[in-house]
Amino acid sequence: MTVAKVYTPEIQLDHVSMRFQTDKTEVVALENVSVDIQKGEFVSLLGPSGCGKTTLLRIMADLIQPTSGEIKVAGKSAKEARLAQKYGIVFQSPVLYDWRKVKENISLPLEMTGVKKGERESRVDELLQLVGLTNFQDKYPWQLSGGMQQRVAIARALAMEPEILLMDEPFSALDEFSRERLNEELLSIWSKVKNTVVFVTHSIPEAIFLSDRVFVLSPHPGRLAAVVDIPIPRPRKQEIRQSKEFYQLISGIRNIFEGV
Amino acid sequence: MRNTFVLSRSRWTPTLSWIIGVLVIWEVCSWLLLHVIQVPLAQSKLPFIHMLAQTLIGYGTTLLTEGWVTFKNAGIGFFVGATAGLILAILMSISKWIEQLTFPYAVASQMIPILGLAPIVFGIVRDDQLARILIAGYITFFPVALNVLRGLRSTNPSALELMYSYAAKPWTIYWKLRFPGMLPGLFTGLKIAAPLAVTGAILVELMGATNGIGVIMLRNLYYGPSHIYMFWLTVITGALLGILSYSIISFIERWITPWQPEYRPSGGED
Ligand SMILES: Nc1ncnc2c1ncn2[C@@H]1O[C@H](COP(=O)(O)OP(=O)(O)OP(=O)(O)O)[C@@H](O)[C@H]1O
Ligand SMILES: [Mg+2]
Repeated sequence: MTVAKVYTPEIQLDHVSMRFQTDKTEVVALENVSVDIQKGEFVSLLGPSGCGKTTLLRIMADLIQPTSGEIKVAGKSAKEARLAQKYGIVFQSPVLYDWRKVKENISLPLEMTGVKKGERESRVDELLQLVGLTNFQDKYPWQLSGGMQQRVAIARALAMEPEILLMDEPFSALDEFSRERLNEELLSIWSKVKNTVVFVTHSIPEAIFLSDRVFVLSPHPGRLAAVVDIPIPRPRKQEIRQSKEFYQLISGIRNIFEGV
Repeated sequence: MRNTFVLSRSRWTPTLSWIIGVLVIWEVCSWLLLHVIQVPLAQSKLPFIHMLAQTLIGYGTTLLTEGWVTFKNAGIGFFVGATAGLILAILMSISKWIEQLTFPYAVASQMIPILGLAPIVFGIVRDDQLARILIAGYITFFPVALNVLRGLRSTNPSALELMYSYAAKPWTIYWKLRFPGMLPGLFTGLKIAAPLAVTGAILVELMGATNGIGVIMLRNLYYGPSHIYMFWLTVITGALLGILSYSIISFIERWITPWQPEYRPSGGED
């Protein structure tokens, strides 16, 4: 083969499988998943509960290592990417530190990368505004609702404008209105920062609204069922949710699930 | 109506009525023992509150000075023991090897009865000040080490993953995550240890120190029935010192870790 590669994908999974060994049984969480995600691309992982979305995200983040297969991030190992602090992660649960007030939780990654105090504070102010929690900055996490806690976690992940943003159902605890507003906010941040985003969701419309491509996963064992291109032009506004194209994409993805 | 409502909601009302209730029951029982049941030496079994109060007027200064000596020595020992416990727990959490090496000894050390250990320590150091500090420290050490170790070990795995995703250095993980996370454990250990440290110091004093609440306790006991009230006052002072030490730690805990679940207002109240 003499075909020269024109680009290196930002995240590249090659026949990745993940098996979890529990007492007697073995769970195949992922089987032979191969995906290439381009730099600056926004992709979603879509699939029913238990199909291995979180597992896939954790493999990308170097939080677990696959049983077999290979993962490369910007041509290097996922571990190197992690050590280079390329990742911002929003976990499925908020994972806030109890002893830190809202603003201190958001400022944590900035402290980790050695950002100066004054700069940290102004950055945190921006982020608070973004997620609409300015009035709650001095509260402790337990004083917030679940959705608010999740917004803190989102602000924290955005704090250092990570090259790779991994988000595990970040908006699932929010009401429809905040969710759609934050969808739009997320897109506008992304269009500025141009980072690579991997977004896990259960919601077909959300995946379509946000993504360049949607990876549809099927369960038991977790497999990549389809990759759906979303050709809707950007910038995308809420109105596109009403468009014919949008509905067609939704029913297209529905059919994939039913065909599985 | 409004007043009683405010009063019944006040924070101190339950404590206050509890104290008054105990004192009244005490006085009544004391009277019953002496005049109705007429047990021998009734007053040494349960003296009158009013007699204790009367004795306190002349005896208060002695109690204060001797109590302070005990409290000070217990406090120093407590501080030394807590520091040692904290350091050992951190070392054990860092290295499994250190834990396996030291933990059995730490446990075994707790099997030695204090009552036996106190005179031995006293005999070796031959200094009542130092002996008190050592015993108080010795008592403090174990509960602190154990609870801190547990706190350090029980770090939330997801919280740890977050640190991991930032590629945090081990000591950053300690500083930003494990230490704040173990504070509730530390305070649990300190609260268990504080009154015990006071008791330990008093125990050493009973073995023959020159000052301290334990010394006057013993002296009053020797003098027999004539010193009944004084004896009881020293015992009460000892108890109060224990309560005081516990309260101080609780206060500091609330100040340093106001985020703990136990300080969250529960539904309905306030
Ligand atoms: N640490 C683990 N040990 C054992 N089994 C695991 C572990 N993590 C995940 N699994 C199993 O792997 C499968 C996929 O789990 P995963 O959390 O990736 O699903 P998911 O797609 O994120 O689901 P959800 O949408 O409900 O979050 C499940 O069957 C789960 O039981
Ligand atoms: Mg999941």
